[in-house]
This record gives sequence, C-alpha cells and structure tokens, in this order.
Amino acid sequence: MTTSHRHDRIELTREVIPSGAIASEVRADEDGAVATFDGCVRNHSHGRSTLHLEYEAYESMALAKMREIAEHLHAHYAIDRVAMVHRLGRLEIGETSVFIAVSSAHRAAAFDACRYAIDTLKKTVPIWKKEFFADGAVWADGEVPPAPAASADAETPAAEPASN
Amino acid sequence: MIVKVLYFGRLKELSGSSEESVEVRDGARIEDLFAHCSMSRPELRKFRASLVAARNREFAAWDTPLRAGDEVGFLPPVSGG
Repeated sequence: MTTSHRHDRIELTREVIPSGAIASEVRADEDGAVATFDGCVRNHSHGRSTLHLEYEAYESMALAKMREIAEHLHAHYAIDRVAMVHRLGRLEIGETSVFIAVSSAHRAAAFDACRYAIDTLKKTVPIWKKEFFADGAVWADGEVPPAPAASADAETPAAEPASN
Repeated sequence: MIVKVLYFGRLKELSGSSEESVEVRDGARIEDLFAHCSMSRPELRKFRASLVAARNREFAAWDTPLRAGDEVGFLPPVSGG
C-alpha cells in the first residue's frame, strides 16, 4: 500500500531509546535542520505521584500506523528522513518513551513534520500506557482514534422508502 | 468460520486473555463478534462506546463483514507518546 523510504527508522523497542544516535542518523549532508521530539516519563499525573509506567502495543498494527505517518510526512512536507521509535514495557521516571527525529533542508518543514508526527501518533497508533502510583495503577485516559463510521463493504442500505 | 480476536489494555485484563479464536456464523459483522465475545464477559459491554475496532490491522466500522481468518482487535482509547 505504501512504499517505505529507505532511510526511515520506524521501530518499537523494549530497550533504552538511543536518542542521540537516532538524531545523528537522520541527518544527511543536504540537510540544514533536524527537529526532534523526546517524549519522556513525567513524575506526576492528575496531581498524583507516578512511580513508573508500562506501555503495550498492538505491535503489527502500531508499526503499520507509524509507517503511514512517515509516508504522510514525506508526501506533505519538504523533508528528508524520518525516525520514529516508541518504547514498550516498563519505563522509569525520566526515560524516553517516544523519540521522533525529522531532517530537512530548511527548518520549518522539520518542525512542522515533527509536530504532526507526534500529534498523530498520540491519536492513531494503538499503544497503551498504564500508570503506576503508590496506591494502585490505572490505564491512562486515551484518545479514541478516528475510525470509519460505516463499512464500504457493508450491504447496500435498503431502498429508499416510498414518499409519503 | 473462525476469526482471531485480540484484546488490549484494560480489555485484556478484563477478558483474562490477549487473544482467542472465535467461531462466528458466515456473514457475521464485527459488531456481531463483539456481542458474541461479550456474552461470556458481560463487563466488556460497558466499554463498547469507547472502543474502536480494527480488522486485519486497519481501523474498521462496526458493520464490517468478517471473513474466515480475519484478525479483529478491540481497541480502547490509545495513549501512546
């Protein structure tokens, strides 16, 4: 359905995300800018102290949706390379949960594409976060991804009723 | 026909499993499958309004007809990032 760009790096990982290396990797000699987003684990949520987080994903679909985001960036922004890496499993306070890097010849495209990528990832990629507190754990409030309201394959609706 | 059902997040905890194979009648749609799965786990029903369905790793409407071998995920609101 989509062609993959040879230099893009789209991954899910259970290891520490090597942010610095990824940011270097997306830069080529024709690029004048690398914009990055480093999403990290905060020590509080809704006024409570967070101990740690756990992330899980529908991995095959999450990777497919992340690749779709990268394809959208290439189609709509004057960018060069995209890296988008999300971590799964247990994360401690301060650790990076998601890292996005976008390179481009000029800075505006890299900033705009990076912002679009993280905003869209948070709305459409099937990944879930569980927050652990001293007194229990909760699945984070999330966003309901946009899904088709009706199937194109569904049976044709019944013929229009006769006018009355 | 047999389809594969996947549960994630709080649904996985509620259903007690992350995946199962389910037999549904030919012509069944995703909503029929959810109704079937909810029969043995009525607590799933209260999440229905906040779920989206995926068929073969693509978001799908609840009226989507199923085919044998389909992989259907019931996805709670997503919270990556």
